[in-house]
Amino acid sequence: MDMLLQILFSGIALGMIYAVIAFGYQLTFATSGTLNFGQGEALAIGALIGLSVVDRIGNYWLTIPVVLLAGAIYGIGVERLGVRPALKAKSEGWIMATIALGIIMKNIAENIWGRDDLKFPSPVSEAPLHLFGASVLPMEIIVIVGALALMLAVELFNRKSIYGKAIAATAADREAAGLMGINTGQVITFSYALSCAAAAFAGILIAPLTLTGASMGAALGLKAFAVAIIGGLTSGLGVIIGGLILGLAETFTGFYLSTGYKDVPGLVLLLLVLAFKPAGLFGKTAIKKV
Amino acid sequence: MLTIDNLHAGYGCVDVLHGISFSVPKASVVCLIGSNGAGKTTTMRAISGMIKPSRGAVLLDGQDITGFDAYRICRRGLAHSPEGRRIFANLSVTDNLLLGAFPRFTGNRSKGDVQGDLEQAMELFPRLRERRQQLAGTLSGGEQQMLAMARALMLNPGMILLDEPSMGLAPILVEEVFRIIADLRQRGVTMLLVEQFAAAALSVSDYGYVLENGRISVHGPAEQLRDDPAVHAAYLGCGH
Repeated sequence: MDMLLQILFSGIALGMIYAVIAFGYQLTFATSGTLNFGQGEALAIGALIGLSVVDRIGNYWLTIPVVLLAGAIYGIGVERLGVRPALKAKSEGWIMATIALGIIMKNIAENIWGRDDLKFPSPVSEAPLHLFGASVLPMEIIVIVGALALMLAVELFNRKSIYGKAIAATAADREAAGLMGINTGQVITFSYALSCAAAAFAGILIAPLTLTGASMGAALGLKAFAVAIIGGLTSGLGVIIGGLILGLAETFTGFYLSTGYKDVPGLVLLLLVLAFKPAGLFGKTAIKKV
Repeated sequence: MLTIDNLHAGYGCVDVLHGISFSVPKASVVCLIGSNGAGKTTTMRAISGMIKPSRGAVLLDGQDITGFDAYRICRRGLAHSPEGRRIFANLSVTDNLLLGAFPRFTGNRSKGDVQGDLEQAMELFPRLRERRQQLAGTLSGGEQQMLAMARALMLNPGMILLDEPSMGLAPILVEEVFRIIADLRQRGVTMLLVEQFAAAALSVSDYGYVLENGRISVHGPAEQLRDDPAVHAAYLGCGH
């Protein structure tokens, strides 16, 4: 029973990381119909910059704004260099362009921080807490709370502020949004900044629980893409459920079967969703009125 | 207020408009009439920046806005209620109206009293008040048209383009829409109106232009056009 709770906690923490990255996929997909396939690299850059800043100033919490800013700058770069030209030319070139920029970023990171995995100092005690009889790492709780807080803050901004409504308008009908005086190009850039900032934030959330390195993001970015598909690219909260499903499936399989098989259930689920409910478990199927 | 000079525009490399010129003086209502495919909507789209004119000029308040992006033209006070309404279906009625006032929130236009204008819009369109929390997509066609017009008014615009406000509406709602246009005209709102219902459009306009195959064939004061036999033929779209 204690073991079960403990796995549950780890699974939820991992799921929340997937959810935050997948949330980032949704943000840009809504405004522009495009995704940054370098989200995993944005996460790694966030973690590595966070590590360097922590080494300098020794305070984890103060690195958060720096990392968010770095992620936002990365996102703006990706949008300007890789996505905007493709959108203008109405091509699918953004797929290759965002992957390419991710690879370039990863290589740059390897040159700066090296190829070896580094240890990210935990901001809180690494001794497990005893919660309901289970041993839970304090950092896991921070991951869960931090991830939920970020998504909640963005959702509130989107629903309550006029700028958030402008994002929704751009997502619904870009041309009509332009007629409202909304600079839709700027909205798309902003959604990329927000998306990569979220991934970078996920990077410093997970870094103290794993190892930090230039290639830490590749698998996370890919699995979060599966989460975005499972939850639905158009459904705000679907990614949380999707993240939880994948995170729990992984940790439970890893513990009860074998860590070698831990990726299988999530990916099988991905295939099932694509086969039977392609818009995702919570996504709305697009109905076009003519 | 709005001056169009020798406007050529179209889609891809095919021009639909072959050099049209007209103007909409301040506080007046001008209508464009003509058969399907004559270029009425293309004219509207070229004015508001939804498409770029290939030749000619568009002047708003004496300033050249030719080829500007739609959002910049909107910020200069030109509101466009487009063909097909184009309301934001998955946002509430109130949110749609607030988005109409977007440049007033961002400081690109003077803010004024947005809440007051929201109240006023709902007074003008009482159905919208009843449904203000509803998603715009759940409104009936007539209500959506009213929302599109109210949303355009929320800009506090110097000039409004209304493209086919009666399209797809039941006759009783068509009457209602024209009553509202007449009401706005009374208030001194400058409007450019595109309509299929030519007689009704002319009855609420000061001046009219008849478009035929991308050119202006006839124009004159609205009362005069209403009595012109050639114009009667053009409404029907059969040439003579």
